[in-house]
Amino acid sequence: MTAPTSIKVRSLSKWFGSWRALQGVSVDIEGGACTVLCGPSGSGKSTFLRCLNGLEEWQTGEIEIGGIAVGDQPRALTRLRRDVGMVFQSFNLFPHLSVLDNVTLAPRRLLHRRRKDAEEQAMRLLQRVGVARQADKLPAGLSGGQKQRVAIARALAMEPKVLLFDEPTSALDPESVKEVLDVMIELAKGGTTMVVVTHEMGFARRVASRVLFMDKGRIVETAEPEAFFTCPCSERAKSFLADIGPP
Amino acid sequence: MHAPSSSRLTPSGVLATARAYPFSTFLTVGLLYVALWLTWRIVDWAVIEATWQAGDRAGCNPEGACWAFILNRLPQFTFGFYPEAERWRAWIVLLAPPALLLLAMAPDFKGRRWIIAGGFIAYPVAALALLSGGSLGLSHVPSDQWGGLLLTMIVGIGAFVLSFPLAILLALARLSKLPALRWLTIGFIDFWRGMPLVAVLFMSVIMLPLFLPPGFEISRPGLALTGLTLYSSAYLAEVIRGGLQSVGRGQTEAALALSFGFWRTQTYIVMPQALRAVLPGIVNSVIALFKDTTYVMIVGLFDLLNIVTAALSDARWLGLATEGYVFVGVIYWLFCFVLSHVSSRLEAQQSRVVRQDQILTGSTQ
Repeated sequence: MTAPTSIKVRSLSKWFGSWRALQGVSVDIEGGACTVLCGPSGSGKSTFLRCLNGLEEWQTGEIEIGGIAVGDQPRALTRLRRDVGMVFQSFNLFPHLSVLDNVTLAPRRLLHRRRKDAEEQAMRLLQRVGVARQADKLPAGLSGGQKQRVAIARALAMEPKVLLFDEPTSALDPESVKEVLDVMIELAKGGTTMVVVTHEMGFARRVASRVLFMDKGRIVETAEPEAFFTCPCSERAKSFLADIGPP
Repeated sequence: MHAPSSSRLTPSGVLATARAYPFSTFLTVGLLYVALWLTWRIVDWAVIEATWQAGDRAGCNPEGACWAFILNRLPQFTFGFYPEAERWRAWIVLLAPPALLLLAMAPDFKGRRWIIAGGFIAYPVAALALLSGGSLGLSHVPSDQWGGLLLTMIVGIGAFVLSFPLAILLALARLSKLPALRWLTIGFIDFWRGMPLVAVLFMSVIMLPLFLPPGFEISRPGLALTGLTLYSSAYLAEVIRGGLQSVGRGQTEAALALSFGFWRTQTYIVMPQALRAVLPGIVNSVIALFKDTTYVMIVGLFDLLNIVTAALSDARWLGLATEGYVFVGVIYWLFCFVLSHVSSRLEAQQSRVVRQDQILTGSTQ
């Protein structure tokens, strides 16, 4: 296995009009580990995550993933995204394709895999996330938790080195949340670099190797989960944890 | 206001209902009478009193329709002045689209993608080569001999097949982030949409040759086809743009995140959803386009309508305008009916699942 892919961010700033969403964020994200990004809504955590694979453009600063700069040159960006999977809050499955086709589309069209090979791989992944029985259904026929697990399988089908999760459980009912978190816990053990924006503090505490706390476009606190949850340093993190309750 | 409980189809029930709603009863009976009377008049004229075989007008029963006129002229109405010995070529061109359509509509047919690709790329080229000949041992038939339904189909299908890809490109350019491209496209679309089709056709026949390099000539049907294509692509582009805008941003983002580039994102993810979403609008445009082909008569082409009009002045068959135009109307109606039927079947197949999904995920997007 190759060395896990780490992410380096240097003084990243982004403005939406005159509003500065990211205020010079610098951070090193460890490869092969799960990093949880939390903070109050509007703190810029989703924006930050979306900058990592170039879905969001930024104005100043640099991002490097595995030593390769994330830039605005379309071809290079597309190439880089092959190694960076993403899971969205609203799943964003392709509604016109079956579950199986959702998973095989990218490997077939982008990696030019044969249909049979792509489908075998897809079935393995669907098995792994526990929705193999839904393979022939359209996304409309699935529950929220199943959809999100299909979305994870879809991201995994490109065999990414980094996985970004943008509030993957926020649109789910409590029961489905557990289904999805179980899959993510399983993934974290596998040694993929994971960056997870989430409000699931239980997950952060159990799985994360590090917690980044963001507020007003800055990373205010970086800590091991145990330290973060038992005695957060910053006042802002204290009041945030008090508001959302103990994990 | 409830109907009496005995309002079933028994004599007393019907009577009770009629007494309870006198106005509605009067209206129903009146409309029924008008409908029956009209149906009777039409059937009497078109079938019972009609003449199917005759040598000229005098041989027809004046009380009924003179279909003999239409039957006599049917080959000409279908093929125009296309030489008789070569009409098998025209038959193939005319029958290929419905055959392809039937194949593509068959449930679970694996080759649908190929049929659609073939219909858009191979058919126009093959049809043109087959009709005009001059190669493969086929004799050359100049395009001024094409006419009737054949010409209508060529212009109609040709304009659709050419304008559809153009419209897709226009719709994409219309939504482009590049300002120059976007404004140019808006200008192009507004120009063609802002002009009456009659003016477009005159312009394309009179002005287009001025822009062509010397020695390079396009036949009159070709010029009319060009004008009609540009005109209809502007309309279609706006329909397709509506479809593109109805596909959520999340779809594009998911595709980009999977490392699809722009064109592949459009081809595999956005376009299939966008086109499905506006299928009724597209079919609407196609029907309008098909009927708009009748305007080619003003640049001197003999499409179905014009060739029937021309035949009305035949001395042996004078005064049969009603029969002629009813025939043309029925043909056009049949085509449009089939088109809208095909569209509603496709919609029923697709919309169920797709819409449901949009409702389920829509709240979080």
